[in-house]
Amino acid sequence: MIAPDPIPVRAGAAFDRRGFLDALLAVGFVSTAVAIAYPVSQFLIPPASGEPATASAGAGKAAALPPNSAHIFKFGSRPGIVVRTAEGDVRAFSAVCTHLDCTVQYKPDTAQLWCACHNGTYDLGGNVVSGPPPRALEQFVVNLRGDAGDEEIVVSRA
Amino acid sequence: MSQIIRHCLPLIAAMALLAPVRARAQTAPAANACLTCHATQADTRLATPARLFSGTDVHRERGFACADCHGGDPAAGDKARAHDAAKGFKGAPKGQAQIATCARCHSDADLMRRFAPKQRVDQAAEYATSVHGKQLAAGHGDVATCASCHGPHGIRLVRDAKSPVFPTNVAATCATCHADPRHMAGYTLPGGAPLPTSQLADYTKSVHYAALTKGNDLSAPTCNDCHGNHGATPPGVGAVANVCGTCHAVFATKFQTSVHAQIFDKACVECHGNHAVLKPSDAMLGAAGHAVCATCHSGADDKGAMAADAMHGQFTQLEAGIKRSGALIGRVKNAGIEVSDQELALREAATKLTLARTEMHAFDPARVAPIIAEGTKIVASVDAAGQSGAAELRFRRSGLAISLGAILLFVVALGLKLRQIERRSHH
Amino acid sequence: MVKGVVDWVDARLDLSDIKHFVAEKGVPIHTQEVWYYLGGMTMFLFGVQVFTGILLLLYYRPSSAEAYESVQFIVTQVKFGWLIRNVHSWSANLLIALAFAHFFSVFFLKSYRTPRELTWLTGILLLFLMLGFGFSGYLLPWNELSFFATKVGTGSAGAVPVVGHFMLRLLRSGDDVTGATLSRFYGLHVAILPAITTALVAAHLLFVQRQGMSVPLSIERAQKAGTRGPLQQMKFFPNYILRDVLAWYVVLAVVAALAAFYPWELGAKADPFAVVPPGIRPEWYFLAVFYTLKLIPSHVMGLEGEQLGVVAFGIVAIVLVLVPFLDRRASRGERSPVFTVLAALGLVYLVVFTIIGHYAR
Repeated sequence: MIAPDPIPVRAGAAFDRRGFLDALLAVGFVSTAVAIAYPVSQFLIPPASGEPATASAGAGKAAALPPNSAHIFKFGSRPGIVVRTAEGDVRAFSAVCTHLDCTVQYKPDTAQLWCACHNGTYDLGGNVVSGPPPRALEQFVVNLRGDAGDEEIVVSRA
Repeated sequence: MSQIIRHCLPLIAAMALLAPVRARAQTAPAANACLTCHATQADTRLATPARLFSGTDVHRERGFACADCHGGDPAAGDKARAHDAAKGFKGAPKGQAQIATCARCHSDADLMRRFAPKQRVDQAAEYATSVHGKQLAAGHGDVATCASCHGPHGIRLVRDAKSPVFPTNVAATCATCHADPRHMAGYTLPGGAPLPTSQLADYTKSVHYAALTKGNDLSAPTCNDCHGNHGATPPGVGAVANVCGTCHAVFATKFQTSVHAQIFDKACVECHGNHAVLKPSDAMLGAAGHAVCATCHSGADDKGAMAADAMHGQFTQLEAGIKRSGALIGRVKNAGIEVSDQELALREAATKLTLARTEMHAFDPARVAPIIAEGTKIVASVDAAGQSGAAELRFRRSGLAISLGAILLFVVALGLKLRQIERRSHH
Repeated sequence: MVKGVVDWVDARLDLSDIKHFVAEKGVPIHTQEVWYYLGGMTMFLFGVQVFTGILLLLYYRPSSAEAYESVQFIVTQVKFGWLIRNVHSWSANLLIALAFAHFFSVFFLKSYRTPRELTWLTGILLLFLMLGFGFSGYLLPWNELSFFATKVGTGSAGAVPVVGHFMLRLLRSGDDVTGATLSRFYGLHVAILPAITTALVAAHLLFVQRQGMSVPLSIERAQKAGTRGPLQQMKFFPNYILRDVLAWYVVLAVVAALAAFYPWELGAKADPFAVVPPGIRPEWYFLAVFYTLKLIPSHVMGLEGEQLGVVAFGIVAIVLVLVPFLDRRASRGERSPVFTVLAALGLVYLVVFTIIGHYAR
């Protein structure tokens, strides 16, 4: 058997230089490949929030909203309020008071939306009943999505 | 003269057949010779009423005619018979006579029900209680009467945007007299000082005027909202807070609980002015020279000054905190961190600030402090989130630095490998 | 393992031609060989753009109501979305910079001379296409800066005489920059331009592979005169390829560093009814042209200044395309100082006016 070409190795070198370099190359290649593949594969996984909340947003479970009650939800970066009337109807409005941008709340005793800042009051159509607000509250479209009994309230812009 | 006869002759025949109408407008409309003659007059004082009455006029549209207010004979073709006092002609009624002319119908509930069932019928009675009514009764004939504001002819409904008493036009209508120094000469305030004529100029600077004319908010107040319509009188001592409070209820309630309610008979007006009600700012509060509080409060031992300063400090601190937090969140958002929860929270903090500014009208720092504290807590949590957002950005950067290290490692290894290959190929 | 795969494919598709070609192919070694790598680096970055662009496509929405929000979503909600977006934005800028460097190196070295006119032709068209990618892609995030930069840029298109208004309407998909413009630019950016580019890159590569690398004129002349012998060659595979890959990784490192230390901002969402912010300008690769057009007085010798400028730049573009056919001397193998000077002037003009355009208010 013919001996292979000797690789210039310094006499007494304790390691195989060529092998080390190949190993280094392999490590480098794999680590860069991982540094690229990992973010890309994570990117492909759909995020929990679904899609950009421009036109619509989730507003919680329908079952968690008893009649004559309301709760605040997030619509983009502005608050919204979803109300279930005493009759069971679900409505949603922008919770930003049209007077000075305070967040409105629901008053079950009068069945009206009320702003604590300056006593602005709106009816359940979003219209101003009394107080300083100059315009009605923006009303949103409400849909229920999901299995019966476990529906999610989906609010979209009109 | 012959002109008049020529114009009136054909009508005389028609009028002979038709009955003159008084307060029965639902039957066939009467002939109105008054208009025909007056419209052709060269003197505008005679022609203008005819022109106006022939245009948009609420009375004409419901079948009323000149004679219903002025009396006389509408069927007559010549002036003498048309202006016959025996037929009830009273000319152009002025002063009390004018009030009586309008009130003849407008204070008659049975009559008004047939035309405008919801309309009130107590305007004349209210007018008698007003400053205008009292001055008229005292003999001053140049005060406002019905026609001064509503116009004598070409009267439009109040809800008609061209009516002089439509909300956006009221201030200008009142100002036709009240802004005229010559007209107002001789009238004085209760204390004896001459009646000012700067109300309109002041009002146009106010937030109420801006809301009414630019904000399209017809519920914003103009002269009659605070002074009354027909019973026009400035709100008296002790009544100002109630008047402002009809809209600004929360502030009035808080004010009534405060120490100032006992002292200030002019209530809200003391600090905010009556006509030139400007947009309020935190600069009005405090013991500094330019602040409104400093008008009465000054000195280190003045409890009021200390309270004002305390509250001012709290407001400026929370406002600055909100702004700073907002800027941090904005920077972090721009760099790509999700911050919608924090934006919502900052809205809540701003709501707290608004609530605190309302509470301030009780003039008690101890009541304002807890609201401010809630706002400050929110700002602190948003700041924390912002800082962790900035930390996340730094973390991303360090992650990328590690990837960079991996790439450079590979580059070095590849370079060395190349050198090795090339050295080998030289053999 | 790689050899095993190659043998398996060879047994089925007969790779002997390719194997022969690769084994024989060499790249000349000389002092100017460093410029050879620019073309490959440009192509690598184009690959990076296609890759990151396809990833962004999965989440981006090309409507004026949702574009900005979708980019915001990618950057804030999608895992590593910020990374993909930043790489795409930075790599775009580097791609154009490298494309220009490649263009200028070819221009100075006169590699366009016979027999490489077609390579130049495809190359110059590719350069224009890259600028088109940059212009169309810039609008897609639909933020304030990009909206107004597009308004100004497409407005200049309207200055072309005769067909200007038609061109403006064609570009803007209407008279103004609207959501329709966004849709059209999106179609351009992800479908039309990539299709044309792929064809041209394939042709460009084919020509380069068929003809081999060009050698500087001075060396060629010296060889013809006999004062210089044949050039040493390095093997295309694996030596040149490995060097190429090395260069690509260096570029990747630069892109990663830029993405890490200078992240791209989101900006504010475009408001078509807002006032044009003062000092609005396009990206750096259009700055020289933009600033020149701004400097031209509104009327020159009876002609509209902007029209004159646009026509002048049009003429420059046509001349650039025709350079190999205009430079007879280089095609004959002679010195061509006129074109060297022209290239130098062009480079100086671009650099100086880009800098001035950046700092001018």
